[in-house]
Amino acid sequence: MTAIGQGRPASGPALRATVFVVLAVIGLFLPRLLGGTSVAYSTLTTIAIFAVMCYGIDIVLSYLGEVSLGHTLFWAIGGYTAANLSVKYGLNGWSTALATIALCVVAAGFLGAVTLRTREFVFSLVTYAAAVVGYEIAFNWDAIGGSDGIVGISALKLPFGVATFSGATQEDLWPVALALLLLTLIFIARFRRSRLGTAALMVQMNPALAASLGIDPRKIRLAVFVLSAPITGLAGWLYAYQRAYVGPDMFETYFLVLMLTSVVLVGRRVLVGPLIGTALLIAQQNLFSLGGDWNKIILGAVLALVLIFWPAGLIGLFRNFRKAKLSPQEKPQE
Amino acid sequence: MNIAQQIVNGLVLGSGYACVALGWTILLGVARLVNFAHGQLYMLGAFVTWYAMVKAGLPYPVAILAAIIALGILGVLLQTAMMRLVMTQNLTSLMIVTLGFGYVLQGGSALIFGGNPQTLPVTLARAKVDLGSLWFTWQDVLVFAATLLLYGAVWLFTRKTRYGSVIRAVAEDPKLAELFGINARIVYLLVFIFECAAVALGAALVAPRSPILTSMGFNEVIMTFVVVVLGGIGSITGALLAGLGLGLFIAFFGAFVAQAYTTAAAFALLLILLVIRPAGLATK
Repeated sequence: MTAIGQGRPASGPALRATVFVVLAVIGLFLPRLLGGTSVAYSTLTTIAIFAVMCYGIDIVLSYLGEVSLGHTLFWAIGGYTAANLSVKYGLNGWSTALATIALCVVAAGFLGAVTLRTREFVFSLVTYAAAVVGYEIAFNWDAIGGSDGIVGISALKLPFGVATFSGATQEDLWPVALALLLLTLIFIARFRRSRLGTAALMVQMNPALAASLGIDPRKIRLAVFVLSAPITGLAGWLYAYQRAYVGPDMFETYFLVLMLTSVVLVGRRVLVGPLIGTALLIAQQNLFSLGGDWNKIILGAVLALVLIFWPAGLIGLFRNFRKAKLSPQEKPQE
Repeated sequence: MNIAQQIVNGLVLGSGYACVALGWTILLGVARLVNFAHGQLYMLGAFVTWYAMVKAGLPYPVAILAAIIALGILGVLLQTAMMRLVMTQNLTSLMIVTLGFGYVLQGGSALIFGGNPQTLPVTLARAKVDLGSLWFTWQDVLVFAATLLLYGAVWLFTRKTRYGSVIRAVAEDPKLAELFGINARIVYLLVFIFECAAVALGAALVAPRSPILTSMGFNEVIMTFVVVVLGGIGSITGALLAGLGLGLFIAFFGAFVAQAYTTAAAFALLLILLVIRPAGLATK
């Protein structure tokens, strides 16, 4: 009990909120601190969008301990919804975002429900196959874009009562991307302490205890999966406005591998882990790129090697290092 | 567009699916392991065969052998790297690790073999057989015969020999099997080598039918999933029947409904089955 008590002093919530607001304000001016160039803006916007995308798969992988290989489907649902509704029906950003959430929940609910009674790796297989099927449909169905995709998505418009926010340039989009990222972080932080979050963790860490408390692991899996889909979906939604284009390339394995690598690189169950992981990986690809094929080798190798040699990620490596420094004094007692 | 020709097409397609899925079936069924690099291994098998034939000028059978050996060696390396995860049966990590390996193989192959589509110059794939109104190629005959032969051999091996029971004992409980003096590491290694060699053989036989690309990955062998799950995870006869059945379904769906949505149709079939029989068709 003391361990938990120490972590949360009485002034915890107020202090945390203050720190959070300060960080958010710093975040808002971060591109300007980094030179204010359009490259700084677009790189940071991309990192924020991709980090949100990764948080979707993070809550499935970190807290549930299962592997969804179908999150590119939700990513693409977000992109295609934003593109189709804004180009064909002229809907504003709020409507397309709501539609994205609704469609992602429906798709995830359907996939989760049909795999409800199957073993966990069948869940992974089916989610993976769903993404491949999604690709086939997006590629062949001309009404939603077909193989050419949809070009010329107009600027993101978010009306606030009297004023309307318009995100025409990368500079304008940064506050939206940052806001989406911060909202996601708050959501994940709340999820970690929620009943569903703790139940998911219990199912992963101690299935026997979960069963004895009457928790059905499969229902927990369904709930967490459905909750995770709109997060990745909203990232895809903003990505469509950022690129002003969506196409079947949103289904590429690259996004899936990036999501998984971002989560495992820093360490699972670390709140800011996926954000730092995404930032590191995007920085490598944008600033220290060795060409597409080498970047693939690096990304895939990081993913495989981290899980093989440091399953706890960079955080685990750091903890081991600290332990190793402490151990000389402790050794005689062992 | 007659029915008999579609049955022939279905058997041709289906034997291809079953042939490529054999390694996965064994890996998943008898060793309870998952390998998401399967698609890239298929791609690599096809490209090694292509390289051996076009660049090194080797005859087709020798090129097949080269692909099997090359992927067998790769299998040793991959499995050695994953051994700790395999021994602890950490399926979650294994799925992600193999996905990472697949991505590395895709990038590496693009560097070595280039980004252009290639075709395997196998003469059998162009040798047509005409039977009245029906037609197929000698390559199709080869794939069909080889698939039946392979499945028969594997079935006999796992059911009728002592080694088959050893593998199943390890799959059931690696620690318990080790108590009985079985080296589980060796068994896992051999099963994984078999998976790699089998997918190389499958690729060398099936890939001459269509152009090959280093980026084709799992989409090319997505039917492997459907075959393995439809057949009832790990059932050898189940996988063979599921492969042939799926081939017939795809042939008829493609001919009479929509060629563009065959993968979606196969997936719909899979979902329906998962709801009715979550453990697959072959189970009682």
